[in-house]
Amino acid sequence: MTLHLTEPRTDGAPVTSPESRKPVPRKSRRGSRPGGSSIDVQRKKLLIPFVGPAFVLYTVLFIVPALGAVWISLHKWAGSGPMKFVGLDNYGRIFRDQLFLSSFGNTLLLLFVVGTAIFVLAFALTLVLRDMAGKKIARNVIFFPHLINALVFGVLAGFIFNPGGMVNSLLAPLGVTDPPKWLAQDNIFPLIMVTLVCTTTGYFTTILMAGVDRIPPYYYEDCALAGASAFQRLRYVILPLTWDVFGTCAVLWTISSVKIFEIVWVFGGSSGAGVPPTQSWTAAVYTYVNAFSGQSTPAYGAATASAVLSLALISVLVVLLRRAMRRDAVEF
Amino acid sequence: MSQDKLLAPLTTRRRPGRGVSPALRGERSILRGIGVTLLWMVVAISIAALVWMVAQAFRDTRAILDDPWGVPTSMDFGNFVRAWTVGDFAVATWNSLLTTVVSSVLTVAIAAPCSYYLSRVDNKLTQGLSLYFILGLGIPAQVILIPLFVMLNRVYLTDSIIGLNLVYIGVSMPLTVFLLTAFFRSLPLEMEEAAALDGTTAFGTFWRITLPLAKGGILTAFILQVISHWNETLLALTLLQSTEKYTLPVALISFVQQQTYSGADWGGLFAGLVIVVLPMLIIYVWLGRRLTEGLTLGMGK
Repeated sequence: MTLHLTEPRTDGAPVTSPESRKPVPRKSRRGSRPGGSSIDVQRKKLLIPFVGPAFVLYTVLFIVPALGAVWISLHKWAGSGPMKFVGLDNYGRIFRDQLFLSSFGNTLLLLFVVGTAIFVLAFALTLVLRDMAGKKIARNVIFFPHLINALVFGVLAGFIFNPGGMVNSLLAPLGVTDPPKWLAQDNIFPLIMVTLVCTTTGYFTTILMAGVDRIPPYYYEDCALAGASAFQRLRYVILPLTWDVFGTCAVLWTISSVKIFEIVWVFGGSSGAGVPPTQSWTAAVYTYVNAFSGQSTPAYGAATASAVLSLALISVLVVLLRRAMRRDAVEF
Repeated sequence: MSQDKLLAPLTTRRRPGRGVSPALRGERSILRGIGVTLLWMVVAISIAALVWMVAQAFRDTRAILDDPWGVPTSMDFGNFVRAWTVGDFAVATWNSLLTTVVSSVLTVAIAAPCSYYLSRVDNKLTQGLSLYFILGLGIPAQVILIPLFVMLNRVYLTDSIIGLNLVYIGVSMPLTVFLLTAFFRSLPLEMEEAAALDGTTAFGTFWRITLPLAKGGILTAFILQVISHWNETLLALTLLQSTEKYTLPVALISFVQQQTYSGADWGGLFAGLVIVVLPMLIIYVWLGRRLTEGLTLGMGK
């Protein structure tokens, strides 16, 4: 995991490369050999004061709740009153729940369809940006949406796609007198997908570019000398050398796409009840509504079961991705 | 000193002969031309959208609805005043600011020593601990949502800014520890060794040598936390219930939902959006380079 980090760093900052540390072998970074110098011994005593606070906070506020989620998902519980152990019943129940299936399906759509679109676009943008004049400006601008709360895009979409809104006023002169009902319950989710592609591509472009920029230029010169076509250069130089960055991006997107909540929650303004139409729910929305919406008896068991399944999805995909990406890591 | 360079290698360009070597100059395909044009269009539209959003915040709702393409005729802060007073954005902004700053400072203050230890001591225990911290990167917030609510409710920390701060610190640990560990590893050891030879204690080397050297990386980690805490929505929405505790994203959601009953107040809404976005823009313009580098570095997993 740290490989990605340390590998590019050492070539950019030769000061830290292992060779330069050779002259002081006694205090190499791996300073844990028996009978290490006094500073190492002293340092080890700092375990409790240094690591302790972070460890306790992280464990109590993150790991314990995560384990608690698994525990709660095995119970029938309305948040107060007695918990009744039901084993895996909640999982069986949500799999028979049409609403959960469509929510989880939407999460999968975000993960795979939106993910694919983002990757294709981001990679195309990277290739265009690679040696374009003014690439810094362009890159900085397309990165910015990543820093904005997704709520903002959801609210803006409501304004832009209103029946009397900007999109329709643009379409009217083009002869579209009967524009589609953008914000109809069935159309909201595809619109969310498009919005996400637009707002997320820039972030991944920035990351991919960091990878492409690492490729030494003499590879390209070599290609030119050997008479390689643009496609061959892509296939045999750029892709193999940025493969690990692709893997990283895929992991990042897997983790962040499963969390998507805010933009769905407010997309197109409020539907009145304060809960978005069920057609656009994601697994995260399903969890939240089932536990906190106050519309029905909270079903903590089913809600956490849905969340735990999301976690399982992430774990499986991350393991698969790491396995698939490992073999092709090229050192350069 | 050179920590900027150390933080930057991922995006460092090799000036001589980067992309524009003579061998590459020749290629100018139509496809590429289209790509470049499209890209600049996207850039132009993005900037225009941002400017447009800010401009609308200065117009009243009727003007916005009549002509969404219009520009404000005067600097009218009415929307902001209304959002500030009626929409409870004043309290929410204060809460957001407080939460963001306090939790980000504490996150970094707690994560830095931990990362330092994990980067300097190498044994089975620290390897296990590093892995343990990284684990959290893959757990989505909705998993811990319900247990966290139940736990905090027991100790009366729901609907409390203190509780929210604690939660933010806890959930930020994985990324911050991961980022800072990588950063401390990249720092040269020579100065620490020299200090140790001069008889400085282990804590002293950390406090007086490494921390000042690591200023750049720590600032990056801090800014990343500021951004994620300022924008965090799901946990705040779950844990806060009373209006006077709302952070900005929660206030914005409640403002949107109120409009269903009180009629759309787009002017006020745009003012709210601007209040949410503008601080991020300022940070980005001010520290942008450090940020993109930090993020592309933080993705190293």
